[in-house]
Amino acid sequence: MWQALHEELEPLGLSVVTVALDFDPTKATPWIDAAGATHPSLIDTDHRVDELFGISNVPMAVWIDEAGTLVRPAEGASIKVSPLRSMEIPEHLPERVRQVMAEMKNFPDTAEAYRAAIVDWAHRGADSPFALSPDEVIERSLPRSADHSRAAACFELGHHAHDMGDHDAAIAWWKEAHALFPENWTYKRQAWTLESTPDGADSDKAQEVYDVYGTSWSDEFLRMGGGATYVIAPDL
Amino acid sequence: MLLTDLTMSAVDFEAATGWAATPEGMCKGDVCGPAPGAVTDGSIDLEAVSARLGMALVHDEERNVWALGPESGGRALTTAMAPELELPDADGNPFELSTMHGRKVLLVAWASW
Repeated sequence: MWQALHEELEPLGLSVVTVALDFDPTKATPWIDAAGATHPSLIDTDHRVDELFGISNVPMAVWIDEAGTLVRPAEGASIKVSPLRSMEIPEHLPERVRQVMAEMKNFPDTAEAYRAAIVDWAHRGADSPFALSPDEVIERSLPRSADHSRAAACFELGHHAHDMGDHDAAIAWWKEAHALFPENWTYKRQAWTLESTPDGADSDKAQEVYDVYGTSWSDEFLRMGGGATYVIAPDL
Repeated sequence: MLLTDLTMSAVDFEAATGWAATPEGMCKGDVCGPAPGAVTDGSIDLEAVSARLGMALVHDEERNVWALGPESGGRALTTAMAPELELPDADGNPFELSTMHGRKVLLVAWASW
């Protein structure tokens, strides 16, 4: 999807650069290979773009102009209409699953407009109404509290403890990060990937509860406000 | 940023955080703030800079390492100047975002999970 956009806009002077937020690069590389990516495809095992650009979930993107100035801050970056928005919710499913699926229909309906905005910017540069001034970019980036800064530090200490082989200590740090900055989904979703299902299989989003975290993707998705807050809709 | 020591050179600190030690204080892009006690002879006192810039400094006693969070108290972006970002690509080759100067960049974060 991003590769196709890159190929379309590269002649106009726009490059897509993707950054995979994965502790384990080998989880990301098969996707990059399958996409046949010719654009820079980077791997950010430390989630550095979280603090550098304010990324808090995926997919999110920032726009950077020819002079290295940000012209849009971190925002949800979908360029394909989510099939989740229009799916039928089968009657026979458990109420809770139906509730989650109903909330997914609240994912912002901005994919087509966002893609069109990128194309407009590629053509018109600074004259595009979607390219914001430096002040607007800063103002539209999310507030950053002392707790958010502490969450970043705790997340990093968790990663270090994990690399040192102390998974229990890592979980304690990550729980603290999750509590300090619950709106940051990359901290939660990344940590959860390391927990196997009750059957011992790899992490699964449908997993009812991640025992050590006492919560699940569905719980957090509903608790944090569902589809409307899960994605930071681009304000176009 | 992971630390084993509470001082580091101003050059390394700038490379890691974007904050430069200048006569006006600590500066990132076009934003400067006074930071008395933060810089001595080209060396950054991380406890002082943590207090001045709202960067959380958290200690893991068991492993005796610290982590320094980003500046806080404002917005996620202090400046609209894109920070330098050096990351490996899928083949493990280092890539610097600044090599894209002269082109527009759509920087997309994604993950396998």
